[in-house]
Amino acid sequence: MDKVKKEYKSDKLHALLWGVFSVGGFIAAFLLPVLIYIDNIAYPLGLWPVANSSLIKIVFMVSLLSTIFVFITIGGSLFHGIFRFKTTLPELGLKRASSLISAVGYIIIAVGLIALAYYLFQLYHGFDPSLFHRII
Amino acid sequence: MIRELTSFFISIYAIIYIYQLSLLASGDFSSYDLFVRNPATIGFSIIALFFTLYHAVTWFSLMGRIQVVKLGPKKTATPLQAIAINLLLLLIIAYAIVYLFILR
Repeated sequence: MDKVKKEYKSDKLHALLWGVFSVGGFIAAFLLPVLIYIDNIAYPLGLWPVANSSLIKIVFMVSLLSTIFVFITIGGSLFHGIFRFKTTLPELGLKRASSLISAVGYIIIAVGLIALAYYLFQLYHGFDPSLFHRII
Repeated sequence: MIRELTSFFISIYAIIYIYQLSLLASGDFSSYDLFVRNPATIGFSIIALFFTLYHAVTWFSLMGRIQVVKLGPKKTATPLQAIAINLLLLLIIAYAIVYLFILR
């Protein structure tokens, strides 16, 4: 009976993780491209739509909504990317190290999500727009 | 295999983005500016964007295969329909984000 319960719990967790992976896939497909373009291509190259905008707007750190947007986009993409990568590596001949790869993958996801939440929280609460204007 | 490779670029970009946030959070805005304007960062971002869009197309194609939509006697036949509709949706979402956070 205990064995059945354990298997049920393990299967439930397995399904949950694959569910989050799937949601991360949607996030990476629909939200990540625009974030990459605006923050790391349009801003440094001075392209539309940020050519005449201030840095404050570019990094999306102006409201609770934008902070949530960055957390969902980067967090979801990180989970999806690492989860898929850790599932692919054992198929490329690293089957023996699959437990280690899994553990390292989950550690990267956990540390990444905590760091992301921490920095976004810091930016949201301690944001001083005047500091931006000093370098523009 | 390329589809699996996209996950590598998505993961690395996410980690780089967290690093960028750490520069901003520390108040070192000139370092942030130097980092994002570095040609290597821009080059990697362009490659990451390409692989992210490739991921999007394969993801939309997968949706078309998994969830066949029935419209009366007709049903969606190829993943091409799912790719086309979702790419249109991607453009609408991208513009909505740009409008909401930048143009407004």
